[in-house]
Amino acid sequence: MLRLENLHKNFGNIRALDGCTFEVERGQMLGFLGPNGSGKTTAMRSVFGLVRPESGSVTWDGVPIGMEQRLRFGYMPEQRGLYPKMKAVDHLVYLCRIHGMAQSDAVSSADLWLERFGLLERRNDRVESLSHGNQQRVQLAAALVHNPDLLLLDEPFSGLDPMGVDTMSGVLIEQAAEGKAVVFSSHQLDLVEDLCEEVAIINQGRIVVEGNVRTLKDASPIRHLELDIDGDIEALIESLPDVLQVQSSGGFHSLTIGAETDIREFVGRAQAAGRLRHFAYKPPSLTDLFREAVR
Amino acid sequence: MSQLWQVAMRELRERGRSKAFLFSSVITLILVLGMIFIPRVFGSGTEEYTVGLLGEGNQPIVTAALGFATADDEPGDLASVEITTVRFESRQAAVEGLDSGEVDAVLVDGTEVVVESVGWGGSRLLSLLGQGAAAVALERLIAEEGQAVADVIELLTSDPLTTTALSGGEVGDSSRYVIAYAGLIFLYVAILLYGTWMLTGVTEEKSTRVVEVLLSSLRPWQLLGGKILGIGLLGLAQFATTVLVAFAGLSLGGFEIPDLDPLALANLIFWFILGFTVYALLFGAAGSLASRVEDANNAALPMSMIAVVGLFISFAALDSPAGMAARIGTMIPITAPFVVPVRVSLEAIAWWEFALSVILTLAAIIGLVWAGGRIYAGGVLRYGGKVRFRDAWRSAAE
Repeated sequence: MLRLENLHKNFGNIRALDGCTFEVERGQMLGFLGPNGSGKTTAMRSVFGLVRPESGSVTWDGVPIGMEQRLRFGYMPEQRGLYPKMKAVDHLVYLCRIHGMAQSDAVSSADLWLERFGLLERRNDRVESLSHGNQQRVQLAAALVHNPDLLLLDEPFSGLDPMGVDTMSGVLIEQAAEGKAVVFSSHQLDLVEDLCEEVAIINQGRIVVEGNVRTLKDASPIRHLELDIDGDIEALIESLPDVLQVQSSGGFHSLTIGAETDIREFVGRAQAAGRLRHFAYKPPSLTDLFREAVR
Repeated sequence: MSQLWQVAMRELRERGRSKAFLFSSVITLILVLGMIFIPRVFGSGTEEYTVGLLGEGNQPIVTAALGFATADDEPGDLASVEITTVRFESRQAAVEGLDSGEVDAVLVDGTEVVVESVGWGGSRLLSLLGQGAAAVALERLIAEEGQAVADVIELLTSDPLTTTALSGGEVGDSSRYVIAYAGLIFLYVAILLYGTWMLTGVTEEKSTRVVEVLLSSLRPWQLLGGKILGIGLLGLAQFATTVLVAFAGLSLGGFEIPDLDPLALANLIFWFILGFTVYALLFGAAGSLASRVEDANNAALPMSMIAVVGLFISFAALDSPAGMAARIGTMIPITAPFVVPVRVSLEAIAWWEFALSVILTLAAIIGLVWAGGRIYAGGVLRYGGKVRFRDAWRSAAE
């Protein structure tokens, strides 16, 4: 289990981390969210000793993280970086070697991941000759190739085409299923919602929301209700208590209502009011939770 | 340690097969072979001159000139100079002979020499004829004493004074100077060349951001140390290849292989290792302060200046190997790698000076591993423009 506890870090006058605390278990995939400049990258870099927090601790299975632990971690930094002139396969083998793998294991693992990302026939191409998307794939392979126990990926989906996103998602799900702890940051919240059961939202250097996405949604004080009915929709809405907000375009109405509002009766009334084109009752999206958390 | 070795191996593999390395190796080999063969092609064999004679009293001068030219020839070798003579009956005919290139010079009555033109710095033939004429004149003066031209020449080409040099070195042992000079140039070029590789290598890792991936699993000293080891080994390999090719060239070309003292060679390699390590640490720290390869040379300017100062002190040491400049340069770790080998080659250094210099240089390396490593660790992860020295120093402590 990775645990960041009460991390503080200032860069001059800028407070990057202000008591940041969160954890992720093996087999868990944590979406690490936050607006730009909220401290995501600093928190990730502190796991790898690339920044030294002024106070707080970073532990893996309860042990303060040192180089021995880091060799079992995989990192994809926000600023992508590979040696441009190295061949893709040589680069991956080199990274395996500095993580302590034997040469033959390193070569087979490098080829395995290149094959996985459809780059096997380009294994001997220099990194700089690959397209942007393919360089991204090699970068991800670089984080995975030494078979780490923990994956920390800073914005792994940025700049990927839809196929790339699918491959990346598949790999992350598989890695978590294999029992690895996976943490990734992203601004694509619908994607995070699809992939992660757990999220942590950081704002101004501290975690403001953390937990199971479903639980967080259930705990939200609001619900969304979407209606499209041939009939007297205005009267119908007025019959509903605790309506916080109404947006309408044509016949389509989107309502924000209190979570406590019992809508079982309302469903019956809606059906009676006219032909029902669309009816949806749902908890707030992760985007709503995010907006609420960082406001 | 194995990680450091992996870093070194990567440098060896990737740089060893890079075009830049192959190019510089080939250029070095061509230069070395050129230095061996070109003087032989141009300077070997016999210099042949044809001298026109007009009037009387010319032949003794030509004979004496030939005597001067061949005074240093080893018995059994080809004569280094041959002078053929052509007689002219009139000045008119002699001038025509000069114009047509039939003769290189014309001696007139033993008192005048006529040439087509005098080149910059004069010519060998003119100075030989001048020496010859002087010897003939001398002989005339001392004819009563029965001295012959041959004796005069022997006297003039001998070393009548024994030279004692206070600041070391033995006169006449010019091969020492050649080795000292060649060794100095080699050290200077090699240390700066490979130091620059270090500089641009570090900056490149920073500018491509690959350093962030690397430092997630390597300590800064492992990355820095591995680079120094890898590039240093590559430099030694290039040096060894160059020396081997040079010796092969010498023996294939039928040259006498110079008496290269194995100790002198070991001394050169020893100081390359020390000097390269000092400068690689300095260049590595400088490279970590620049964010773009274009800025790296600016960041390293102070180091390059220091190296130039070292070179000048070494030239002073060539002149006066036990002089004040040489003594001071011996004790400063950034100039010692250039100065000490020169003094060692000229056998003008006391053992305690050598030992103290090595100790001081090693101490400087230890200090630089600490300080340079700290600047490197602080600088290499700070992006955006040129990182200030002070910020890098502080940030490593944070």
